[in-house]
Amino acid sequence: MHASLYARRRRRNAVAMSLSLLATMIGLGWLVLILGALLWQGLSGLSLKVFTEMTPPPGADGGLLNPIAGSLIMTGLAVLIGTPVGILAGTYMAEYGRYARTTSVVRFINDILLSAPSIIVGLFIYEVAVAPMGHFSALAGALALAVIVVPVVIRTTEDMLLLVPNPLREAAAALGIPRAYIIRHVAYRAAKAGIVTGVLLAIARISGETAPLLFTALNNQFWSSNLNAPMASLPAVIFQFALSPYADWQKLAWTGALIITLAVLTLSIVARVVTGSRRQS
Amino acid sequence: MPSRAQVLVRMRLADKAFQYLTQVTALGVLGLLGCIIFALVIGALPALRTFGFDFLVTQNWNPVTERFGALAPVYGTLVTSLIAMAIAVPLGLFVAMFLTELCPLWLRRPIGIAVELLAGIPSIIYGIWGLFVFAPFLQSHVQPLLIDTFGEVPILSSLFAGPPYGIGTLTAGLILAIMVLPFITSISRDVFETVPAVLKESAYGLGCTTWEVFRNVVLPYTRVGVIGGVMLGLGRALGETMAVTFVIGNAHKIAPSILAPGTTISATIANEFTEAVGDLYTSSLIALGLILFAITLVVLALARYMLLRIERRLGA
Amino acid sequence: MTVAMVSAPHIDRVASDKAQLRERISIRELDFYYGDSRALKAISLPLFDRKVTAFIGPSGCGKSTLLRVLNRMYDLYPNQRAEGEVLFDGANILSPKQDLNLLRARIGMVFQKPTPFPMTIYDNIAFGIRLYERLSKSEVDGRVEESLKRAGLWNEVKDKLLANGLSLSGGQQQRLCIARTVAVRPEVILLDEPCSALDPISTAKIEELIEELKADYTIVIVTHNMQQAARVSEFTAFMYLGELIEFGDTQKIFTTPNDLRTQDYITGRFG
Repeated sequence: MHASLYARRRRRNAVAMSLSLLATMIGLGWLVLILGALLWQGLSGLSLKVFTEMTPPPGADGGLLNPIAGSLIMTGLAVLIGTPVGILAGTYMAEYGRYARTTSVVRFINDILLSAPSIIVGLFIYEVAVAPMGHFSALAGALALAVIVVPVVIRTTEDMLLLVPNPLREAAAALGIPRAYIIRHVAYRAAKAGIVTGVLLAIARISGETAPLLFTALNNQFWSSNLNAPMASLPAVIFQFALSPYADWQKLAWTGALIITLAVLTLSIVARVVTGSRRQS
Repeated sequence: MPSRAQVLVRMRLADKAFQYLTQVTALGVLGLLGCIIFALVIGALPALRTFGFDFLVTQNWNPVTERFGALAPVYGTLVTSLIAMAIAVPLGLFVAMFLTELCPLWLRRPIGIAVELLAGIPSIIYGIWGLFVFAPFLQSHVQPLLIDTFGEVPILSSLFAGPPYGIGTLTAGLILAIMVLPFITSISRDVFETVPAVLKESAYGLGCTTWEVFRNVVLPYTRVGVIGGVMLGLGRALGETMAVTFVIGNAHKIAPSILAPGTTISATIANEFTEAVGDLYTSSLIALGLILFAITLVVLALARYMLLRIERRLGA
Repeated sequence: MTVAMVSAPHIDRVASDKAQLRERISIRELDFYYGDSRALKAISLPLFDRKVTAFIGPSGCGKSTLLRVLNRMYDLYPNQRAEGEVLFDGANILSPKQDLNLLRARIGMVFQKPTPFPMTIYDNIAFGIRLYERLSKSEVDGRVEESLKRAGLWNEVKDKLLANGLSLSGGQQQRLCIARTVAVRPEVILLDEPCSALDPISTAKIEELIEELKADYTIVIVTHNMQQAARVSEFTAFMYLGELIEFGDTQKIFTTPNDLRTQDYITGRFG
């Protein structure tokens, strides 16, 4: 009797383990399929032209210069606005306000904002920036992206600062060093790699975001560096071109998708290397 | 040469200023949430005032007559997310089990990285892949199969009925499943690794198989964390925009078949906002956004609360 | 207020040294609380100028807690408070008006675990100096060298001042921390079990250091190593369960203590 019970248990175990292996292969299989399709479709369209010419009207030849530039500009601006805000707030939560009640509330709310739908952010900025100004603008787009950057940077800054061991702070305090100095010269320095990683991850996150840009920065067929006017961005252009019926536009969409994916993957790998090397030192 | 005391007095002002600056920014986070809710409510007010509660239960969506109802988008959001979770949760848990119990050590890191890469791929990539690769595949190989298989079965035939468009509610649900899978896997794996080795060893010591240890020790111990992770995944699925917009078909109709096109809240907003003419149209779209925000807020708050409980138990 | 000798039944000293002793810090009726629980009970004791005083006692007796009151390190944490008086050159440092940073510049502390800042060896020392004084590069160089020499580390690091502080061995890191503390020119140095994380050779080096430093600084050392206390200190305070049991000449405490509990601890009956 024992034998058959045992056999059944072993069978069940084997089934479960095979299922888990199968699940892993399925899960990873998607990655291969998606990256494969990206390379297959996008690589052939990749050429110097893509980086040097503007988006063409359907049927004509062209590139993705203005959306790439637009994405770079708005991403850069968003990081410029969002990072200091995020670091300052994270600093309060890990240092001055570490034991305060408000900090746990802020952390909770921040984690919610971290996962909030990005299209809501787009609507929000539309309401507070686009509608009052009367027109779409790159600035509004950058603001929307900044709203996404802030919670990411807050989370990583707080986590990294909390990892700095207290004896280090005490040693600095024991020298009579004021709090702000301890934070700036000891805590930040110790957490530097982690905070930089957080910023890189935030950049990776907003590089591919489309929804917040759809009704803030809109899109622009032509070259524009005017922050007060609609600006093209790579995700918005991909959206427009992919859903269009024109084959050459669709081709450009794939190439653009490949560019974004490569950028995001590179940033993630760099971020990982930065944290990894720190751990070894 | 100023004395030490004088130097310190000077620094004290800067010290205080820095402290207040950080405090104000931190409180600003709360302010941000408040502003978002406020802005959405203000924007949605015209629509809500015009339609009242009917807004939630009307399927009608007619820009010409200016009659709008949220039923179709809300239905679509819930159904696609449900399909996504039904697939991603078991799959994700099994992958996490593989990573923590079965996977050889040298393979763990690469697979973990692959999972994170999958999570990092922007949703528009899923969208374009879904539209040009996945949907055609489903259209020619999978959907005819489903239609034929369930064609005779009484209830399920209407669930899987209709011409194989390729795009549609099911396709959107499947794409969402692929997107949510890495989240569930990561969080589950992290949570599974918190099970103390002694606990698992005691079970193995009794002669339990790996599956039995997983089912009877690991899962119950990490139950709260897993649920938290699942709800986080749900939160993401509910709010996902670009991937869904590409493959859902954008039809403001509730069809019984999941192979038919439909729409979700975020897809509707993404597709129609820039073309919306008239205040009522725009306001209705913002009202949709408000509904979405309310749903995701509740789901995410619950998720974070559960994950908080698990962190507290670890004595964080 | 005159700097008076606190007299209590359990305080003893050798008569001939009385004239040279100056009380630098006077602890009077000090109570310390972690939340609601009282960790230190009515502690009163003197700390004499340019002498080494050791706090000894079994784990949990409150010796580190007492040490950390002296530079108000506990102020960094909520739920910890001190009541009573601690007079440093006549002024009560427990008063809320006390400038904490100034206090800590005058009363330095070295911790149990070496904590070099994530900077170069040079910057570890220069950091504190640059904070208070505007000096030229050569002056800072001079001060760094002076501090490293006082800590007995100069010869070992003079060729690698730009190396990271964490690249030194444990014993060297601890001496770096001592150099860092000395660099800001304190008047009192508090040592919280400075050798407990170090090997015997490094420990011996640090004990030599203490012997040299006491010529210029008032030193208080917490140690669970009784032999170390006997080796380096002139005065010893024995604590138990948050109370000061006995204070006096180190020689006397270790040979003919007044209190039975002191005797039991010294002879290893408990601890």
